[in-house]
Order: sequence, then structure tokens, then C-alpha cells
Amino acid sequence: MRPNSLIKLVRLQLRRDRRGAFSSTFGIAMGIASLVFFVALGLGVGRVVREKIFPVDSRLVDVVPSQLAIGLFGGGKLTQDAVDRLAAIPGVERAYRKMSVRVPAVSLYDGDFFGRRLRMGIEVIAVGVDPDFVRADVKLGDFSDPGPGKPIPTIVSSRLLEIYNKTFAPARGLPQLSAQMLVGFSFPVDFNRSYVAVVAPGPVTSTQLQVAGLSERGVLAAATVPLDVAIRMNQAANVDAETFTGVSLQAASPSEVPTIVAAVKEMGLRVDDQDRRMSENAGAAVAITTSAMALLSALICLLAAFNIAHALSAAVRARERELGVMRAVGASQRDIFGLVLAEAVVLGVGGGVAGTLTALLAALGVDMLSARVLPQFPFKPDTFFLVPPWLPLLGVGLGVLAAVGGAWLPARRAAQVDPARVLAGQG
Amino acid sequence: MITTEALTRGYDDGARGRVRVLDGVSLQVAAGEFLAVVGRSGSGKSTLLHVLGGLDSGFTGEVTVAGTRLSGLGDRALAKFRNESVGFVFQSFHLIQGLSALENVALPAAFAANDADEARAKEALARVGLGEKTERLPSQLSGGERQRVAIARSLFNKPRVLLCDEPTGNLDLQTADEVIGLFKSLNQDGLTIIAVTHEDRLRAAASRVLMLNDGRLAPHPDPLPRGGEGDR
Ligand SMILES: Nc1ncnc2c1ncn2[C@@H]1O[C@H](COP(=O)(O)OP(=O)(O)OP(=O)(O)O)[C@@H](O)[C@H]1O
Ligand SMILES: [Mg+2]
Repeated sequence: MRPNSLIKLVRLQLRRDRRGAFSSTFGIAMGIASLVFFVALGLGVGRVVREKIFPVDSRLVDVVPSQLAIGLFGGGKLTQDAVDRLAAIPGVERAYRKMSVRVPAVSLYDGDFFGRRLRMGIEVIAVGVDPDFVRADVKLGDFSDPGPGKPIPTIVSSRLLEIYNKTFAPARGLPQLSAQMLVGFSFPVDFNRSYVAVVAPGPVTSTQLQVAGLSERGVLAAATVPLDVAIRMNQAANVDAETFTGVSLQAASPSEVPTIVAAVKEMGLRVDDQDRRMSENAGAAVAITTSAMALLSALICLLAAFNIAHALSAAVRARERELGVMRAVGASQRDIFGLVLAEAVVLGVGGGVAGTLTALLAALGVDMLSARVLPQFPFKPDTFFLVPPWLPLLGVGLGVLAAVGGAWLPARRAAQVDPARVLAGQG
Repeated sequence: MITTEALTRGYDDGARGRVRVLDGVSLQVAAGEFLAVVGRSGSGKSTLLHVLGGLDSGFTGEVTVAGTRLSGLGDRALAKFRNESVGFVFQSFHLIQGLSALENVALPAAFAANDADEARAKEALARVGLGEKTERLPSQLSGGERQRVAIARSLFNKPRVLLCDEPTGNLDLQTADEVIGLFKSLNQDGLTIIAVTHEDRLRAAASRVLMLNDGRLAPHPDPLPRGGEGDR
């Protein structure tokens, strides 16, 4: 059948049955709209979980010492020796050491805090890391030990900043801070001093911490400082300056992670996968909810397909003579089958496009409403939706699929209409 | 132009078993003939036309029309045959509502391999005397005009055989006469015509009349004189 003739005949039929065409398209649009909406929502929320709430680097394995000293080598402690062996595990690209400053510390802030007067004392935990671990996020200096008495460069967790901005600051009337504002900011800290813990006898070291950058890799509730600073502090306080609190192994690729985890356990060390598990659980919850909603939407599409099947069956019955005439002037059964399917394709494309557009508009509306009406909360995203380029294509494709699926049997019936039966006689 | 041999077409008819509507029909039609087929209702006249026109493939026997052997042809080959070699004219016109006269006439082009165009449709409409009404919808035409559009459609692909099933059955006397005149003129131009009819005047226009009875064709026992419309 010639394409332009096909188009003409399809248009004729759709024009003649506007109500039917509209109802068929509307049904598909409903199904596709809810499908696209919920899939975009699921993907969007999944992204927020993955990238903002639990930004797990899929290539990192966090190794911590075993609590029980049963390992063959070094009794499950993270000595330099153990670190070297970890770094030698096949698939490990880098091993980043971490060591807590093992004396308590406090910060007593009394002065101007970004235009607000602030007087506050808090306990500070400092963790030293291999500088390369956070190198990419260092905005000030080279993140190395500046030596005694000099301000210590510090990386702040970007998640901590988010929590501060969304809950801590509003509750205490403190100003909102951005990463740029924070870089360069200094605050005093006294090591070997605590408001709550018992402190070892020894001198108090007073110094300054200076923010050198913000990083996802910063330890959440701690000041992340250069490893050498932690070693120096621990040596000065006469506490353990030999074993590490943790090691982050960077795999060459995410697929190597399971074998690396197995090797680490083999060595009698533990893997801290709390974040990873939380992320996976949250991700799974989102995925399950999304799947359920998508299934529901697919059901709507199925109903739409039945609706189309019903409408087309009636239309085919009403058009038997006309289809017979086409056969008489040279249409094959395949031509007739194709004609009815082509009508369905048009309905499917129409419904798919309308549904997808509706979903995208609804998503935009939800985001706008969220921005205006919902209160600020940590990790509140600008958008709850993620629309990858394949999603609209999927929407339109499924619309066509539903329409064609519904049209299949009526089209077969149309092709099987016996022209000899419908053409003879009067009427 | 048309040859059939031992053409048999039966239907399963519940209690009566298999009923042979056509029972060993042998028919020879020369090019340029104008054949009328008569017979009482239910005698199988329409069935015969459908077989000859490739609309019904459930027959046995040999059928050759315009050089195409129809026995055993598949659906697509039959469709091509209907498109190119024969034209159908039905009692109730069967125009497609919503398409203009011109578009109706050009309908065969939709299923054609060649690229026949509007000019051909205009030509066909002019041939049936409707050159001025190309844009009318079927609902805006009289019965006679509708049948002439249908005839133009059957002529569109320049077939060699025209198969007409009671073509004047839905027309009043005067328009029927016009249509019969049109058939005569087409026949004079060389078109082979087979017309199934109850109508004496159409029968009289034919060059030969056959009667279908008990599944067989026989010469009509009471032939009217040729061109005898005015004689009754
Ligand atoms: N699809 C079919 N199934 C069963 N029987 C059929 C079928 N088509 C036709 N018949 C039977 O075949 C016989 C011939 O039918 P046909 O339509 O050819 O008659 P006809 O001579 O054209 O009659 P009329 O003058 O009333 O148009 C009839 O008895 C009819 O009932
Ligand atoms: Mg009949």
C-alpha cells in the first residue's frame, strides 16, 4: 500500500470517528502519563538518595580494624604493614589511610560568625587522611601539615554543610553558608581538652583549624585534616600514632569491589559498609515503590489497550463493506491489516506524546509546588524527577505498543472480512 | 478473455450438507463480448462473478481471466489481479463516504504498484460524464451519478474485464437507461463486460445471454432481440 494513500485513509477514518479516536487516545495518554511520571519520580528520588543522602562512591571500600584480634597478621590491627598488604590486593588502585586524632578537642568560638555574633563551645573530632584522598576538593593551600603552631587545613563534609544549612542554622538563627564562604574560615581548637571526657595528663595544644575545602569524602561529623597532623598530635600526646583508624581502598572499577571485600575479610579485617548498605536499602525501597507504581501504570495502559480493542472491533464491524470495497479494488488482506494497525499507531503516538507531555508538566508542577510550599529540609532537591532521554521515547513507544496490541485482533478480523459476503446485494 | 472449466463452488449448509452453488460451470467469453447472466435469486450469479473477479478463491476447477490463471493463486496475487485486470460494479455502488468522487475513483491507486494519479481519475470521471463533479461527496450525488462514479472507479486501472452485479438494481428507469448506454459505449470501445441482471433492458443490451440454473450455465431459452429496449 502506498504511504500517502495510507495516510489519507487513516486520516479519513480518524476524522470520521473523532469521539472514538479521542477516547482511545485519552486512555493511552492516562496510562503513559502515570508511567512516565512515576518512573521519572523514582529515578529522581533514587538519584537524590545516591548522590546527596548517601553519596557512596561505588569504587571505595572502607576497611576498619577488627574488634576481635584474631587475624593472622597483626591481630586485625591496621598497621602500615597491613596497609601495604591491602594496597597489594589485586584490583586495588590506591589505599588511603585514615587516623583519628586520639585526644579529645574542643572549639570555643567567640566572635563574629559571618555577620552574626556567636559564642559557642563544641567538642571537635579530627580525623587525619592521606591528602590525596580529598585533593580534588582542596581549594586553599596544598593540604599538608603546616607544622606546629600554624593553622591546620581542614576539609568539611559537604553533607555536614547541608545539614547545618537546612536544620541547624534555621533553628539557631545562624546564617546560611555556602562552600565559597566557608573556604578560608578559621576557628580555634584546643587539643587534649574536653567538656565531657576525661583527659589524659599533658599539655593543651591551642591552634586554629582553617577550612581548605568541602568534600563528599570529608568525614561527616569531624574535621578532616592531613594525616601527618593526626600523627603529630598523637605522638605529642603520647597515644597510639602507629595504627590507622581506617583505610579507604579505591578499586580500579566497581566490579572489582566484591573480590576486594572478600580479600579484606580474609586478612581478618572488617569492611565498613554501613553507608553502602543504607544506600542500597534506600535505593531498593525507591526501586520497589517505583516498580509498583510503574506496574499500576502498565495496568492502565493494558486497560487502554482493551479499550482500543473494543472500539476498533466496533469500528471494523461498521466498516465491513468499505473494507470489502478496498479488497475488490485491489487491497490484499495484509493491506487491510496494515490499515487498521496504522490507525492504531496514530492513536498510540498521539496518546504516548500527550501522556509524556502531561507527565513532564505534572513533574514541573510538583517541583514548583515543592519549592514554594514545602519547608527546607536537608538534601531537599531542586527537582524530585529525573528524565533521561530514553524515558519520553519509552513513553511514546509503550503508547504505540498498547495501541497496536489492542488493535491486533480487530485488524486480523478486518483482514478476514469476506468481501464476497459484504459486497453483493443491496443496502 | 475468460475461460472456466469444471468450475465448482460449494458451501456447507448445515443439515443439507454440502451445497454446490456452481456445479461444473464451463464458460467461454471472447474479448469484447457483452455477456448477460440471468437466473433466479440464489442461483449463484454473484458467486460466479466473485470467482471470475478473484474475490472468492474457494472454488475448484480451472478459471483463467484476462490471461491470469486464478486457480491456486494466493491472496496477494489475487489482490494484484483485482487491482489491474478486472473492475467491479455493484448494485449498491459502495462508494466510500467522506471521500470525494475523485478520491473514490482513485481508490485503486492506493493499492497499486504503479503510480497512477489524479489525472487518470479525472479522465475516468470524464468518461462516465461526471467531469464537472469531481469534488462532490457521495452524499451530494444522485443514485445514477453515484453508480457512474463507481463505474469510473472500476475503469481507473484500465481493466480488460468489467464484472457488474445488478448494476441497475438500485436505479430508476431513466438513470438505468443512462448507465446501460454507458456500458454499451464502453463495450464498443472494446471492454469485455459480464453483467448479472434481472433487468430486461440490460439483458437486451448484451451480445449474449446465459442462464444459471442448478449450478450450470445454459443459453437463455427466450433471448430478447439485440438492442430491444424500445421493443416492449
Ligand atoms: N458465504 C456463504 N455461505 C453459505 N452459503 C452462501 C454463501 N454465499 C452465498 N451462499 C449461498 O449460495 C447461493 C448463491 O448465492 P448468490 O449470492 O451467488 O446468489 P445470486 O444468484 O447472486 O442471488 P441474488 O439474485 O439474490 O443476488 C445462495 O443460496 C446463498 O445462500
Ligand atoms: Mg447476487
